[in-house]
Amino acid sequence: MIEATNLGKRYGALEAVKGVSFGIQAGEVVGLLGPNGAGKTTIMKILTCFMYPSYGTATLNGCDVFTDPLAIKGMLGYLPENAPLYTDLNVMEYLDFIADARGLVGSHKAQRIGEVIGECGLEPVVYRGINTLSKGFRQRTGLAQAIVHNPQILILDEPTSGLDPNQIIEIRQLIKRLGQEKTVILSTHILQEVEATCNRVLILNEGRIVAQGTTEQINRELRGEVILAVTVTGGRQPGSTLAGLSGVREVLKNEPAGVKPGREAGANRFQLNLSVDPDSGVEERLFDWAVAEGYRIVALVPQRLSLEELFIKLTREGGANAQ
Amino acid sequence: MLNNILPVIRKELRSYFNSPIAYVVTVTFVLFCSIWVFYLQTFFAANTASLRSLFGIVPLTFIIIMPAITMRSWAEEKKMGTMEVLLTLPFRESTLVLGKFLAAALLLLIMVGLTLPLPLLLARFGDFDWGEVVGQYIGVLLLGCAGISVGLFVSSLATNQVSSFLVSLFVLLVFTLISQVNLVFSLPILLARVFSYLALGAHFNNFQKGLVDTRDLLFYVLVCALFLYLNVKTLVFKKW
Repeated sequence: MIEATNLGKRYGALEAVKGVSFGIQAGEVVGLLGPNGAGKTTIMKILTCFMYPSYGTATLNGCDVFTDPLAIKGMLGYLPENAPLYTDLNVMEYLDFIADARGLVGSHKAQRIGEVIGECGLEPVVYRGINTLSKGFRQRTGLAQAIVHNPQILILDEPTSGLDPNQIIEIRQLIKRLGQEKTVILSTHILQEVEATCNRVLILNEGRIVAQGTTEQINRELRGEVILAVTVTGGRQPGSTLAGLSGVREVLKNEPAGVKPGREAGANRFQLNLSVDPDSGVEERLFDWAVAEGYRIVALVPQRLSLEELFIKLTREGGANAQ
Repeated sequence: MLNNILPVIRKELRSYFNSPIAYVVTVTFVLFCSIWVFYLQTFFAANTASLRSLFGIVPLTFIIIMPAITMRSWAEEKKMGTMEVLLTLPFRESTLVLGKFLAAALLLLIMVGLTLPLPLLLARFGDFDWGEVVGQYIGVLLLGCAGISVGLFVSSLATNQVSSFLVSLFVLLVFTLISQVNLVFSLPILLARVFSYLALGAHFNNFQKGLVDTRDLLFYVLVCALFLYLNVKTLVFKKW
């Protein structure tokens, strides 16, 4: 459905996208994951025919971005980054303009506008000026704009940025629902977002795809390593017995934890960061170890790799390609 | 190509009239015209049933009015990021440019239309040559359209409203008054001819007298076509 071949984009001396190739099947929900400046937005701008690639090409449904931009624009819905809107219109006027531009007419137009207002929860602000809307309503208006013509392909640039946790959940559910019948590409720099909404991920860094695969594949890749952050209290610093526990691969950190204000002094706290085998029951053995050695565990937090750590891992391993 | 131009025009007009700009510009223009005719040109004392004095000042007011109307059209879209929405809707670049142009031209029509009460009321006191008045109004609209197309083009290059306003004001100032250079310096005859041909203001002289000369008419149409074409090319060029 969407085919990108050796896609590249230069802005002057900066090469934002460096020869990216990928294919996306109809009905997939694909996440572009990467830190800021990885090239996610640029790829989306090329796919939506907002700008030409410097080299390479892309086709959507067989239409080329160079020769057939009108056909592509017609089948797309696009939510640009930060959901730009016409602030001197109200929500209804804005959706009316978009629906007109998308070629919706008559009762079908009125019906679709009504539907997206419901789907995106815009009822309370229909006749309010867009300049008075909160960030959450603006984002939802932008989303309503993108889906009003029921497009086959939906391209969403950071659809949940700047929203509060409740709104994020709502938007993710909406995207999931839309993803059941549409091809969706969304970009984000939040790992959990991809897991929550996408069935496939392209991980980008510095303009290149460093890994791609289904969310399960990426997850499994990440599961290779789990870090436990453990805080214990006890008389002395934990010794070498810790490293001998089966399931513990490496003691990354073993040092006295700072005494926080308000905590009773005297109780010696130690912060341990352990690299462990996943699903090996190491937590239980750790508990037994603490009892045997006279420590008390006050906190045990499994830590996930942050996006930065994930990139370091993926790029170090030579762009391990899960596909 | 023209089947989906109406939404663009409607949206532009909504933007004009939802913000103060349309009202401020219109009121200023009509007020200034009235003050000019009755107070500064002492219309009744002159005792001539003609609006030539009014139409003599219009090219100068348009130097300020046209940039004010067009300054936001592209510059604001770029600044707010709505350019991304607009250019990813299924419009041709030419449809967008023409839509914005026609919306501004409609605003011009309303603005100029609001000066009509002047001749209509004054007709009671004197015998106006209505052919002259019609010619004058045609000229004003053409001159305004030329100003709009220049302003739109400048706006498509600018990154914010203020620079768009100042640059198109400068361009219009130069192109309206360029023929005046001939009055001050004695230039080679060819250069002098080029200057007076290019002057937006000089082509208005016949219209001011109520004469519709096809050469002047063609000149304004060509100016519009040229700058609208350049505007479309700018949009396409920016995709690279």
